[in-house]
Amino acid sequence: MQENVIDQSKDITILEILDRVLNKGVVLTGDIVISVADIDLVYLGVKLLLSSVETMQKNKLNTVKPSLQIK
Amino acid sequence: MDKIIYAILISNDRQDELTRLLSGIRGISDSNLFNITYNDISVVASDFSSNKIIVDKEFAIDYARVIEDLAQHFTLLPVRFGTLMESPDAINEILIKYYDEFKQNLQKVENKYEFSLKVLWDYEKCSGKIRLKTESEDQNAAKLFHNNSVSTEYLLKKIKEHRFESALLEHVEQLIGEISTRLAQLNPIHKFQKMVTPNIILDAVFLLEKHKKDEFIQAIDHLKSQHDDLNFLLTGPWPPYNFVEITLK
Repeated sequence: MQENVIDQSKDITILEILDRVLNKGVVLTGDIVISVADIDLVYLGVKLLLSSVETMQKNKLNTVKPSLQIK
Repeated sequence: MDKIIYAILISNDRQDELTRLLSGIRGISDSNLFNITYNDISVVASDFSSNKIIVDKEFAIDYARVIEDLAQHFTLLPVRFGTLMESPDAINEILIKYYDEFKQNLQKVENKYEFSLKVLWDYEKCSGKIRLKTESEDQNAAKLFHNNSVSTEYLLKKIKEHRFESALLEHVEQLIGEISTRLAQLNPIHKFQKMVTPNIILDAVFLLEKHKKDEFIQAIDHLKSQHDDLNFLLTGPWPPYNFVEITLK
């Protein structure tokens, strides 16, 4: 049970990382900027983050209260 | 070959330290990192051949790792993943053109950490309790009506739902108010999103001074101990991804 909690927490941290690098930060656009076309990956990142957090709650893994998820 | 941009940072007179640091970090696809500097700020970038490489999740994680490594030594603004430029000259052009905006944002996040806090509850369980509470009030409302027509039933159902939703919202507001009041003592800049899903009552990010890190964690611990029915999912410290407000065209 505890292992599952840890695994889930790692997944969530990875998804938090993805959410940040794909959706946050300085946005540079314009003629001299060429962006990587990767819309699907961006969309997946946000969607997965919220649903994974919810799944953790629904699976009642919170019976073992997760400690601070400090990276 | 295109250049992928990782971050914009305050380098000041620490050019040698930056060069040494970059020589010890690998960019995505095992590329060499380099910096382009204007006055006291630098852009960190590496070569990137988008034609030959399939961009995937691992790339994004490697990209985040570079930013994380840099953030441990320098104040920086993370650049959104996937920002490619044609040449070092193009990077230099951006750096000169938007120097003031970069500098202003860098000063805002200097010596600060970002933390993320998600507060969860068991919606079914918690809303069930609130529903039970409001049911007694619903019975009082039912007494006001003397007939059992379809329209009366419809009206009662609507009143019932309204009372429940109001009580639920009030409860959530009260919880969030308690959390924000406690954390406001540390004076962070924050961004709140309430009830992003039925189970996530608060999705928040905080920017606070580095020396307040332990105090912040203790405050969350204190809140946890007072709310057995809530889960506090705290992650960090992060580079200031959520507090960079620059979109440059």
